[in-house]
Formats: sequence, C-alpha cells, structure tokens
Amino acid sequence: MKSSQDHLIDELQNFMDGDLERFQALGKKIIKDFKRQQRIMEQSDRRQRQEYDQLQEKLLEVKALNLEIEETQKEVVFTMGAIGESRSKETGNHVKRVAGYSKILALASGMDETEAEMLKQASPMHDIGKVTIPDAILNKPGKLDAQEFEKMKEHAVLGYEMLKHSNRALLQMAATVAHEHHEKYDGSGYPRGLKGEAIHIYGRITAIADVFDALGSNRIYKKAWEDERIFALFRSERGKHFDPVLVDLFFNHINEILLVRDAYRDIFNQSNQSGTAL
Amino acid sequence: MENLHIEATKYTPEIDLNAEKNMLHFSGKSYPENTFDFYQPIIAWISAYFQEETKRETVVEMDIIYFNSSSSKLFFDLFDILEEARQNGQKITVHWLYDAENENALEAGEDFKEDFESLDFELIEK
Repeated sequence: MKSSQDHLIDELQNFMDGDLERFQALGKKIIKDFKRQQRIMEQSDRRQRQEYDQLQEKLLEVKALNLEIEETQKEVVFTMGAIGESRSKETGNHVKRVAGYSKILALASGMDETEAEMLKQASPMHDIGKVTIPDAILNKPGKLDAQEFEKMKEHAVLGYEMLKHSNRALLQMAATVAHEHHEKYDGSGYPRGLKGEAIHIYGRITAIADVFDALGSNRIYKKAWEDERIFALFRSERGKHFDPVLVDLFFNHINEILLVRDAYRDIFNQSNQSGTAL
Repeated sequence: MENLHIEATKYTPEIDLNAEKNMLHFSGKSYPENTFDFYQPIIAWISAYFQEETKRETVVEMDIIYFNSSSSKLFFDLFDILEEARQNGQKITVHWLYDAENENALEAGEDFKEDFESLDFELIEK
C-alpha cells in the first residue's frame, strides 16, 4: 500500500498540469505532513530514551535479584551441609574442602564450569542425612557395632529423601550426591550396592573427595593419616572403592587439591598436629 | 455496510468498526511489523463509511496503550479523515482513553487534540 507521503509525491509529480491554487493547497499539505513527521520523530525519540532508560534500570534490578537468589541459595546449601557436619563434630572447613576437591575433579573429568561449580555447591550436602543419626552413634569414640553401623548407613538414603523433592537442579544434584557418595565402584558400597558407572559421576567424585578429606583429618575415632598412607590406599582402591579414571585424575591434579586443603586447613590442626578434633 | 472486526494480536490492537452502532473502537497495542499494510483495510472501511450520504453521530473510541511511530502517523491520517467528514457535516466525537500511569498515552492524546481543533476530542482517564 502506498503511504500518505507516496500520495503526496504522486500529486507533486502531477502538479505540472495543475493550477496555482492547487499547487498552494498541495504545498500546505506537504508542509503540514513534514511538520507532523518531525513531531512524531521527536515524540518517538523521547519515548525511546525513556524506554531504554527503564530497560537498563530493570535489567540492573533483575541482575541484582539474580545475584541475591544465587547467593542465598549458596548460603542455604552451605549452611545445610555445615549443619550435617556439625552434628558429627567435624568442622565447617571439611565441607569447604570437599567442595573444592569436587570441583577440581569435576572439571578434570570434563564437566563444564557451570556444572562443576554446581557440584562444588551441592557436594557439601552429602552428609545432611546425618542430622537424623543419634549422637551416641555419631560421636562414638570407638568402632561402631554392626547394628550401629546399619543405623549410620541410613544417612545416605535419609539425605536423599530430604533433598529429592526439590525441583531445583542444585538440590536434585545434592540429592544424588547424598544418595550415592558411599557407593563403591566394585559394587560393595551402600545403600544400593551400585557398581561402576551405574553410580552417578557426582557420587563417584564426592566419594573420592570425602574419603580423601576424612582420612587426612583428625576425627573423634582416629587421627589424621599421613599423605603417603592415603595415596597408597587410593592406589590400592583404584577400581575397587573408587572409579579408576577419577583416581588417575586425582593424582594428576594433586597439587591443586593440596592447595585447597591448605587454604581451608583446620585451625586446631595447625596448632596441634597430633591433637584430636575435640 | 458490513461491520469489520479484527481480533487483537501481540502487536496489533482489537479493532471493531460497527456501522450499526456508529462506533469505531480501537483498543490495545499497535506496533505491527508492517503498519501501513495492517491499517490499509481499516482506513479503507472508515473512508467508505464516511462517504455514505447518511448523517449520523459517530463515536470513535481510542484505547491505545502503546504504539510505534508508524501507528502514530496512521492515527494522524485517520483523524484527517474524521476532520474532513466533520467538515462535510458528520457529527463525530473522539474518546481518547488513557491510564493515569501511562504518561505517553496522555501526551499523545493531548497532541492529537491540539492538532485537530475542529474535532470534538475528549481525553478520558480510565
């Protein structure tokens, strides 16, 4: 369809045949139309500026809100993990270290930064199910008897039950980690006795991170192991307790892993290497 | 003549041109991909409506909450037709509806009102 300006142009082209009166009328129309166009343009510019300002303002708001949500989520998740740990008198640094090791192994195993960062945030919740385990079992200085050990083992399923109802990807991941971090590669773990790659990669990674940190820390029932003793165990458990590929990646990235351990070293370990966690 | 009804879309307003009730109604947003094509049948209908000999009292109701520059130009063209019809003896009232919070809609209404002095142009807060 021709616009009104096209019509004006047509009329102008036909003007040669017209008279002066017609020309003046046409001239007035053209001038009026030009002025209108100019006004429309000015209005449009003004509105565009307003809209763009508003858009930027809203964008900043959305960004701030997103950050707030992410930070809140991280904090809640971390606190939940710390609650789980505090029940067994372990330090908040344990969950920080496990988180750090998990991310290193996640990246090494080929996960992208987003997924690896998610695993870093989800892995501290692996022991959240411990909140349901009685103190007498959790803090028993000696070895657990068979019945006590069965009770203790429930924490994997209970943690999973607590987290599985969430639709949030992070909590879904945490549910998997809680459920599978005590599974062993050769199928001898609990609660389901899953074998090999039937154990989710999140569970296989957290298993290594958790055991490495637990062995290297003083606990109520044992003193920290020397690194060489831990490494020897990891080598012997390659393909048994642990995913063999992940054990290789663990040794390939041992320097990064030790940096994380140093950054979150337990305070009492620094002042008294032979002390207990109590 | 046949009434013309066009349903609203994401980019175009609901339009109801009713020759029995003598009511021309526009409501919603107007930023079509091709504004001139979209409004061509509407402008054609309205021109035909006012070319009929019948003298009537027509109400044009504009409840447009957002529109692009080309739509603005089309509304000027529409009001030109109304003004011409008015000069030919038609009685026409324009109701320009706006939301108190929508400054742009009010400003645009004021602008049209100022430009078409001979039209009976009422700004009505919703």
